[in-house]
Amino acid sequence: MTTNTSSGSARTSPRQLTWARRRRAVATFWREYRRNRAGLFGLAVLSLFVLSALLVPWVVGEEALSVTRPPGEPLQPPSGEFLLGTDRSGRSVLDLVLWGSRVSLTVGFAATFISIAVGGLIGILAGHFHGWLSAALLRVTDWFLVMPTLVLAVALAAVLGRSLSTIIIAIGVTAWPTTARLVRAQTLAVEARPYIERARALGGGHWHVMSRHVLPNVMPIVLAQTTLMVAGAILTESTVAFLGLGDPTVPSWGSTIQAARDTGAVSSGMWWYILPPGIAIALVALAFTLCGRAIEGVLNPRLRSR
Amino acid sequence: MVRSRDSHARTTPEWRVGRRRRRAVAGVVSILGLLAALLVGGASAQAAPAEGSAGEEKVLTIAVSQEVDSLSPFLAVRLITTSLGRLMYDFLTNYDPKTGESIPALAEKWETSEDGLTWTYTIRETNWSDGQPVTAEDARWTFDTMMKDEAAATANGNFVENFESVTAPDPRTLVIKLKAPQATMLALDVPILPKHKWENAGDFAKFNNDKEFPVVGNGPWILSEHDVNNSITLVPNKDFWRGAPKFDKLVFRYITDPDAQVEALKAGEVSFVSGLTPAQARSLEGADNITVNKAKGKRFQAITLNPGAKLQDGTEFGDGNKALKDPVVREALVRTIDREAIYKTAYGGFGEANGGYIPSRYSDYHWEPSDAEAVGFDVAKANEILDAAGYAKGADGIRAKDGLKLSFRFNVHANNPQYIQAAEMMREWAKEAGMELKVLPVSEVGALLDAGTYDILTTGWSVNPDPDYILGINRCSGLPAKVGGPYLSDAYYCNPEYDKLYAAQLAELDRAKRAEIVKQMQEILYKDNIFVVWGYADQLEAFRSDVIGSMTPQPDPGGNFNGQDGYWSWWSATPAGEESNEDSGGTTGNTGLVVGVGAAALAALGGAFLVARRRGGATADDRE
Repeated sequence: MTTNTSSGSARTSPRQLTWARRRRAVATFWREYRRNRAGLFGLAVLSLFVLSALLVPWVVGEEALSVTRPPGEPLQPPSGEFLLGTDRSGRSVLDLVLWGSRVSLTVGFAATFISIAVGGLIGILAGHFHGWLSAALLRVTDWFLVMPTLVLAVALAAVLGRSLSTIIIAIGVTAWPTTARLVRAQTLAVEARPYIERARALGGGHWHVMSRHVLPNVMPIVLAQTTLMVAGAILTESTVAFLGLGDPTVPSWGSTIQAARDTGAVSSGMWWYILPPGIAIALVALAFTLCGRAIEGVLNPRLRSR
Repeated sequence: MVRSRDSHARTTPEWRVGRRRRRAVAGVVSILGLLAALLVGGASAQAAPAEGSAGEEKVLTIAVSQEVDSLSPFLAVRLITTSLGRLMYDFLTNYDPKTGESIPALAEKWETSEDGLTWTYTIRETNWSDGQPVTAEDARWTFDTMMKDEAAATANGNFVENFESVTAPDPRTLVIKLKAPQATMLALDVPILPKHKWENAGDFAKFNNDKEFPVVGNGPWILSEHDVNNSITLVPNKDFWRGAPKFDKLVFRYITDPDAQVEALKAGEVSFVSGLTPAQARSLEGADNITVNKAKGKRFQAITLNPGAKLQDGTEFGDGNKALKDPVVREALVRTIDREAIYKTAYGGFGEANGGYIPSRYSDYHWEPSDAEAVGFDVAKANEILDAAGYAKGADGIRAKDGLKLSFRFNVHANNPQYIQAAEMMREWAKEAGMELKVLPVSEVGALLDAGTYDILTTGWSVNPDPDYILGINRCSGLPAKVGGPYLSDAYYCNPEYDKLYAAQLAELDRAKRAEIVKQMQEILYKDNIFVVWGYADQLEAFRSDVIGSMTPQPDPGGNFNGQDGYWSWWSATPAGEESNEDSGGTTGNTGLVVGVGAAALAALGGAFLVARRRGGATADDRE
């Protein structure tokens, strides 16, 4: 046993070394992150929302969303039974907000994943290769860069019908160019480093350079970009749903606000119908932004020192 | 021909009417802005200076949001412009607000020949607002132009379809000869225009009557100013034969946001607001100096079930779910609709659940099923008849027979929150009977209808005092002649028995007998379960009682003020404190609004959006 362990540590494989280094890096990262109070707050809020989104089917149950057998009377102000009052169908607004977190977070993450995947790939390709491929990719990127999300979402909703996937696609398709630009810049910087040249000299091909050297180095920036982008995606989802382009049978925060507005909640003073989903949107967007900033700060020492 | 669809704002189906304004602008606004609005709104709700009572000039300000399509009565089909037409020009006859029967207007009397084919009207001796006399020649020219010029027939062409000839043998006599008897000769809702101003107007398809202000007319109000999308101002016609209006000015002020309209009413910036939501109406009921009017609905809300779209020659087209051809399936579906619950929840209790085609406010023509006849809410019965007919539930809980799944696309007008809410409810009920409704909000259903690519869609028509038009849309002859061709209705309904009765009621000049036939027609329509009426939502409107002392609703009592089939409300409106010896004092009214028109922001997107929508229509509803 003792021999085993000692011999194991004595003849550490490169893989183990790598993992040990990664563990250290994560620990350092966390240590730095912890110093950022706002980042911690964002993380806490975010965990809360993610947790509620995961648990809501068991805690609240789907029957709370029934419009034909609602638990209460329509448009009741907050009470002991319904902490945030009821909506136009008699459902608890609190339950709607909890269920809405599922939709908003799903859209936020899915749309971000699409845009990060597309943006990362195109960014690395455009940075790594030069010449016509790079030029072509950049022109396409520029073209998408100027495409307004909302207009595209409206057009897509018209063509594909109103559904969550339409919204996800619309956001994903319009949000990737910034990532692509960012990743390309980082790729250029990384590839200018001497060890890349060495890797090439040792026979490293395109794939090797891109996947082994460039990708790990752009990941941090991609991570920071992701957290910032989720907030934007959630806001866009709410806007699109608020415009009535979402699926009305899915209780997202945006569609709840839209329903409240359709009901005339603003001039009727029904704050409990319109404020909670609005505050939820603001909180989640804020939480993601704080996390993103904190990560950025950790990864970029220049930001940290300030 | 597509145009015949929107022939009348009075009978405009919702799917032809523009997108709701709010959606447009509103959306882009950030949510935070909205929250701010809430706070500001709450604050401003307190202040309530009465406008009009202070100065010497009494102004009646009405909040509107629908854009003007055209000020030319030949072209105008929207509620706002057809209503303006009623204020600006006199019609041959009016509807008595109390009885709904035709009473003299520009025609002071009339007579008809034995065979009902010749109608002779005596034109009242009055003047146009520029001093020229109003003559029978003006009326003749108006009708004749509509008969000969297709552009001039855009809005009201259906009234003259059956005209053989129109002549004016002398300045006081108008003679109309018909091809066949027509029961609607005292319900010709056509503004009579001044020939001397109009005959040189040029191309009627392009002339919008907005070059010269004030616009020469002979109605109770003269249109003096049109500040596009800002305000429309009218001044009283002091010489109006029925008596001059009592306010000094009538202003239609554009406020596109419904919540902002209500705030403006609370603040006294406007005196009249229509199209309230149930929640708004409830909150205004307690407000000082504000009277809320809940008028019986002039409009019915309904769904149509696609019984298999077909052309006049019987050729079927489209891809409607064939299961809906089975009367059992249709009955089962209708049995899953709880009309009472829809009006209780979605319409906040402001409405009447009723399966009759003609709204109950028209009591003489209205028909409704007896308890024995009613296809009422009964999910157990729905399950029972579907079981008996062999539609068995599959693993997913959805019934099917011979590969036909009872899964239906349900296209709902996205701009109508109540429809959406009702659709959500219907979806859950249908599920309990093993049927699936896929709720698909759409901005307009016209393209789906033209292509026959729908299963179920929402609809709503506003019904005239005379039921001829609304009955006429469901004739077999109304079916399109070719795919994509003009189609008046939205149900692909065709029943020869119904058609026979339609002809009979049109030729029946005795009102009571005609009403009997009209009721039989509604019974047939009801039993076929293709055009499924839910009921009639109340028209909710509110006005400042410290500005408007009294005005006449239509019908009186219990009717609406805005969007009347006549000029009664704004003509009779009396400033508060001056209503001492008024003859009619309706204090409650309502509005039903054919809701307006696209919003400014979307207008920009509008073009591209509509194009995309139209093109994408067919694919859109194939999707889940």
